[in-house]
Amino acid sequence: MNVLQITIFGVLLGGVYALMATGLTMLYGVMRVINLAHAAFMIVGAYIAFVLFRDFGIDPLLSMVVTGPALFVVGILLYQLLFRRIAGSSRFTEMTVLLSFGLALGVEGILGSIFSNIYHSTDPGYATGTIELGSVFIPTGQLYGFIASLFLLGALWSFLRFTRTGYAIRATMQDRDAAQIVGVNIDRVSALAFGIGVGLAGAAGSLVSYLFTFFPGSHLLWIGLLLSLIVVGGLGSLMGAFVGAVGLSVVAAFATEELGPEWSYLTFYVLLFAILLVRPQGLFGKPETI
Amino acid sequence: MGDAVRAKEVAAPAPRRFGLSLRAAALLLAVLALLAVPLLYPVLVPYSYVLQLLTGGFMWVAFASSWNIIGGYTGYVSLGHNVFVVVGAYFSAALFVYADISPFVTAIGAGLACAALGVVVGLITLRTRGDAFIIATIALMLIAQIGFDNWAWLGGSSGIALPPLHMSEAALVKVPFYYAMFAVAAGAVYLSYRIRHSRFGLGLRAIAEDEVKAEIAGINTNAYKVAAFALSGIFIGIGGALWGYSLFYLRPEIFLAIAVAADMVLMSIIGGRGTVAGPVIGAVLIVAFNEWSVSEFGSSELNLTVTGVLLVGALLFFPGGIVGALRERGRLPRVLDWD
Repeated sequence: MNVLQITIFGVLLGGVYALMATGLTMLYGVMRVINLAHAAFMIVGAYIAFVLFRDFGIDPLLSMVVTGPALFVVGILLYQLLFRRIAGSSRFTEMTVLLSFGLALGVEGILGSIFSNIYHSTDPGYATGTIELGSVFIPTGQLYGFIASLFLLGALWSFLRFTRTGYAIRATMQDRDAAQIVGVNIDRVSALAFGIGVGLAGAAGSLVSYLFTFFPGSHLLWIGLLLSLIVVGGLGSLMGAFVGAVGLSVVAAFATEELGPEWSYLTFYVLLFAILLVRPQGLFGKPETI
Repeated sequence: MGDAVRAKEVAAPAPRRFGLSLRAAALLLAVLALLAVPLLYPVLVPYSYVLQLLTGGFMWVAFASSWNIIGGYTGYVSLGHNVFVVVGAYFSAALFVYADISPFVTAIGAGLACAALGVVVGLITLRTRGDAFIIATIALMLIAQIGFDNWAWLGGSSGIALPPLHMSEAALVKVPFYYAMFAVAAGAVYLSYRIRHSRFGLGLRAIAEDEVKAEIAGINTNAYKVAAFALSGIFIGIGGALWGYSLFYLRPEIFLAIAVAADMVLMSIIGGRGTVAGPVIGAVLIVAFNEWSVSEFGSSELNLTVTGVLLVGALLFFPGGIVGALRERGRLPRVLDWD
């Protein structure tokens, strides 16, 4: 395969990875929460899309209208019921990691008991279709996923850029204490960030349902991959998540071509360790300050 | 642990000599009782079941106590500690299959290999404070998954078979594993105790409390953290080697299942992170609970959910675990107080 073709594969998937990773890095940026259950909620979204497709024939792309808002509500509830209670506890981030780890295990077990541990996937017609453009061909499923991801990320960007609430969220990401001093309602911003973060995971789940095969335990592979992306990009940086996602995806596409698909995920983790060695704060992260 | 707790720790005027000797006597009695269990053959009725259950208990005591060195004392949560299990298991399995040396001999080597791995990985991942380290430990587990699943020399994902162990009577096969795993548990708890009562352990706790202040106070935090990570790998590696041998058939997913990593964390937290007795109590409770729930409800996917719910519940309501909660109320019996 030629270089252009591999790059196209990498970029298309990278856009989807960016959608998956954005909610995760935003939660870290706003609240210093590492939500290990992020990918578990993505798999929940995938199962919702799967059931909607199997039982009602609803297109996976269309089901984002359901999975996104449904998981948005779950996110708000999680904040109100769990994460709000531990706000201000010592070693807060570590606490969120353990708490969300427990949540992820809980979700995996429930999904496993409902759907059992076998691979699922939806197969709308476009999932396997291709468009030929001269010497390269573009897989339609991944193209649609890429477009849907860019659309959602664009909407998020506009929201953060042009609304007062968006301003408040960005201010909180820059400096939580300062934002509070100038009158940002941190509690409301945190709840909203949780809703958006988990909601984006749910919407991404709809894409997972036809782009990949999934099973209850696959959230672990995804969370490893997504966390690697956002550490490489810089924890808490939205731009970093996007660049990290597309960049690593392209590298992984070349690794798949050279080494075979079973080793391609290794790319993400090798790059994670490499970035920890040379630039622990990530590409776009702020260095740790005392 | 709040300041109030520490104040109480200092102030408590314990009847020291009597308390200590009672404690020592209780410990000695427990050790002797456990050493005597295999001698009850053939009086003990489900002989191999009891031995297997206790052997599993010893293993988890060793795992949780070891995890506690980095996750409890040092305050660096590792979610990929089962990497040491799989490396230990395959280290001894490979030497057994290809060089015909019994895992009972090479288990120590497996522990040292894990310590070496801990140094290498620690040097890379422990340069950052906290957050990125946790992520790196998850990545480490996934790297191990890809590596062992595709390493044809060690059987890949379909696994590798070991020559079985033959004894004069089939039921007695469990006995060597029982004593070996008991030794591993004893070693791990002793190591944990010694660290807790050393200058090194004091340094680790300072790092857990406030790393910047620890550094200012002149503690070489990087060296301490890497050492803690490596030490926490030793007995997990040895235990993993024995566990792998006892199965006679190894597949990576047995050791790299998320439940293995999760249980070490859960046991330490439920029992009491950063204490000597906590992980031991947690391991005993969780092993007993798992055994009960599997016999009562059967093994199902929901076991994982229960693990998750227990973890969330413990974190929200007893962040100090059983030992921490009892100590806070001044009700911690001397027998359980080894800090």
